[in-house]
Amino acid sequence: MKQFSEIRGPVRQVVRFVGAENLSLLIVLALEVLVISSQSPFFLGQRNLLNSLGQNIAVLGVLAVGESVVIIAGALDISVGSIAGISGVVAALVVNASWGRMQYALIAGLIAGLIAGLVNGSIVAFLRVNPIIATLGTFAAFRGVAFLIAPNGYPVGVGTRPDFTWLGSGRLLQSDAFVGIPIIMVILIVVAVLGHVLMRYTDLGRSVYALGGNATAARLAGINLTRVRLSIYAISGTLAGLGGILLAARTTSGAPLNGQGMELQAITAVFLGGAATTGGKGAVTATMLAVLILGVLSNGMNLLGVQQYFQDVATGLLLIISVAIAQWRSLRAERARTRVAAVG
Amino acid sequence: MSANAAGLEVRGVSKAFPNVLALRDVSLEVHPGEVVALLGENGAGKSTLLKIVNGDYQPDSGSLNLGGRPVTFANPLEAHRAGVRVVYQEPEIVPGVGVAENIYLGELPRRGPMIDFRRLEQRVRGDLARYGFSKVLPMNLMGDMLSSAQRQLIEILRALKSNVRVLALDEPTSSLTDEEVDRLFTLVRQLRGEGMAIIYVSHRIKEILRLADRVAILRDGQMVATMPASGLSEGEIVKLMVGRDLSAIYQRRRAATDRVVLKVEHIRSNWHRDVSFEVRAGEVVGFAGLIGAGRTELAKVVFGEFPHDRGSVWVDGRPTSIRRPDDGVRAGLGLAPEDRKREGLILMRSVLENASLAILRRLARFHFIRRRLERQIASEYITRLRVRTPSLEQEVGKLSGGNQQKVVLARWLAAKPKVLILDEPTRGIDVGAKAEIYRLIDDLANQGLGIMFISSELTEILGLSDRIYVMQNGRIAGELAGEGATEEAVLGLAMAEHLSKSVAAQQHVAAEEGLAEPPAHETSPPEPER
Repeated sequence: MKQFSEIRGPVRQVVRFVGAENLSLLIVLALEVLVISSQSPFFLGQRNLLNSLGQNIAVLGVLAVGESVVIIAGALDISVGSIAGISGVVAALVVNASWGRMQYALIAGLIAGLIAGLVNGSIVAFLRVNPIIATLGTFAAFRGVAFLIAPNGYPVGVGTRPDFTWLGSGRLLQSDAFVGIPIIMVILIVVAVLGHVLMRYTDLGRSVYALGGNATAARLAGINLTRVRLSIYAISGTLAGLGGILLAARTTSGAPLNGQGMELQAITAVFLGGAATTGGKGAVTATMLAVLILGVLSNGMNLLGVQQYFQDVATGLLLIISVAIAQWRSLRAERARTRVAAVG
Repeated sequence: MSANAAGLEVRGVSKAFPNVLALRDVSLEVHPGEVVALLGENGAGKSTLLKIVNGDYQPDSGSLNLGGRPVTFANPLEAHRAGVRVVYQEPEIVPGVGVAENIYLGELPRRGPMIDFRRLEQRVRGDLARYGFSKVLPMNLMGDMLSSAQRQLIEILRALKSNVRVLALDEPTSSLTDEEVDRLFTLVRQLRGEGMAIIYVSHRIKEILRLADRVAILRDGQMVATMPASGLSEGEIVKLMVGRDLSAIYQRRRAATDRVVLKVEHIRSNWHRDVSFEVRAGEVVGFAGLIGAGRTELAKVVFGEFPHDRGSVWVDGRPTSIRRPDDGVRAGLGLAPEDRKREGLILMRSVLENASLAILRRLARFHFIRRRLERQIASEYITRLRVRTPSLEQEVGKLSGGNQQKVVLARWLAAKPKVLILDEPTRGIDVGAKAEIYRLIDDLANQGLGIMFISSELTEILGLSDRIYVMQNGRIAGELAGEGATEEAVLGLAMAEHLSKSVAAQQHVAAEEGLAEPPAHETSPPEPER
């Protein structure tokens, strides 16, 4: 019997490892680095790379991993920034309590995110509300909840709790010559690897791709879509919770407004990474490359002294351009399919 | 237009795509007042030829003549202006507007800035009456309520309102019931009488022999024969199409046992009143009936996709409480749905992922897919079903129709169900692949599977089934087996009440001169999304 073998050959192995789709992202990233480093001598310094860039992308990266899962399933989660706000406040309140410890704060923040995610998931799975509308609603509602939880709506300072702020500004392997690897980056890498493994190697990951690719076919193949829908929002919510904790730790404040606007960046990153708007296509690795591209862009513009407002315009445009490219790609794939169908 | 003027001439046309030579030096003449049937397996080049005639593609070499003059069509619009129309299988229909607006789309009669609805209705009413479709195509139906047959009629009527000299129909009957096919044939004959040159593409050889004056057969991009239709037999045509003899395609080795693997009792649902039937291990049970009789819905009710409010389903002797498709899968059922692209496959994912979709639970250990086992199982069934794919990583959407269907079947074979429900498994696939699927059905029955086989093609139902249930209007009208299972018997049961009903409807219309009711058998409630 003929066995289908895996793709072999050294070049193909490399391309397969990076992924053909990721090649263009790597090229964009390389171009960015080239241009910015030629304009600013600080850019390639370890202080800039590990402090400014690394710390800045970490929170966004964690949110974008969750958003990838949701978007690949053909849905959307607009509420992640608001969930980050809630979990930051919750974690800050817990760590400030007399019995508070960093570990408790971490767990409380994650649970807050999980609950918020399950609320999203239930609205989508049981009430059958369109994901965009559902999470647009909770986007507003969760932000309100964050303000309601915070005493008088004020930010909850955690500057006096070094064990908690260590999550945001701690370093590993620090020495005279080396600024050290930020803890927050280590956390991002762990989350990204877990996300990648989840999507590539587990039954849930397969079900997520199937749901996004064709919900009817997935259901008729015996996949319990309700469970998958709940799971994706639970994952997205929990990771948004983690993002909120890290943000609070880094800014030394569990502010209700924390995470505002980050949903937009996270969604941008996922689409920039080549995910299809209809679902079924996308990868955590690609999203991470896109997060790097966004981070380098923002970092570069800071170094070159570009106004914040221009950066907002750039982010918005980038979202539209990346989706336009994704649409063009899927149209081309569609054409290729119909051509094959017409001929063969 | 004089009757002996040349109609459409295709001369020595070739067309290549990357890696494929789709057409090689193809010539075809269609005269006014003639129906030429264009036949060939999937991939033989029929669609490519039609697309060249319609101006979608331009030929690499060769030429088109229309009425004796050379023409080139840079796009479909130019072809339409010249009087050449191709009616494709799935016409564009605007869902939210009525029949009349859909027919006159883009050229609605106006009075000032407003649409002149009165004139529009008069015109359409006239058209429908002229072609005898007043009852088949009620004017008050919205685009999204139309059956595939009605959609195609609209597309044909669209074509007819301009000055059409050459009309090509691409598999117009693949989703039509026999009754609807008859109506379409009447129309085609009428158009032929009016001097139109007609190209007719179909997989159903029998009906072609009833309609066509000449037959043109494509094989692997070449025109292998053009000959008069009279005197040709089905077997001869198939032989020319595939280049080999397929007379034995319906061969069955009987394997039915006494063990009942699927027992359905007194099912009542939106679509059914009191349906009971059973399928035994090793038995192929055919479900015949008109479209809209409730066969697809019955399969989905049994499988758990659609709800039922009364009745019970027993699988392999055990009662079940199936409420969702995953319950159905767990109970030991498999369903290869009618519309494989919309309901069966995840087109953008790989052959591997599609093949293993129904066994994720079995493949997972602590939720991690055992990838080597997955490849091994997928390879086994993909090879066994002879799916032609370059690799397991190939996107399913890039395979041909027959191979896509085989991927769906591979998925269910891997799941090792006790009962396999096949809903129109051979729709729109070529003769060669059909024969392979017939052989597979026979193999599966011999391995002890119970097979619920839904099909609108009478010959395959009669050829493959051990027993046949005929459904009609949401219930089982009768059961046929052995000598009693003939085309006449099936049709008699399928249409009995339907005929008396349409007579009643006619009388109703005559009495009230009101709007025709939509035929009851063609409207079904929208599918629930879960």
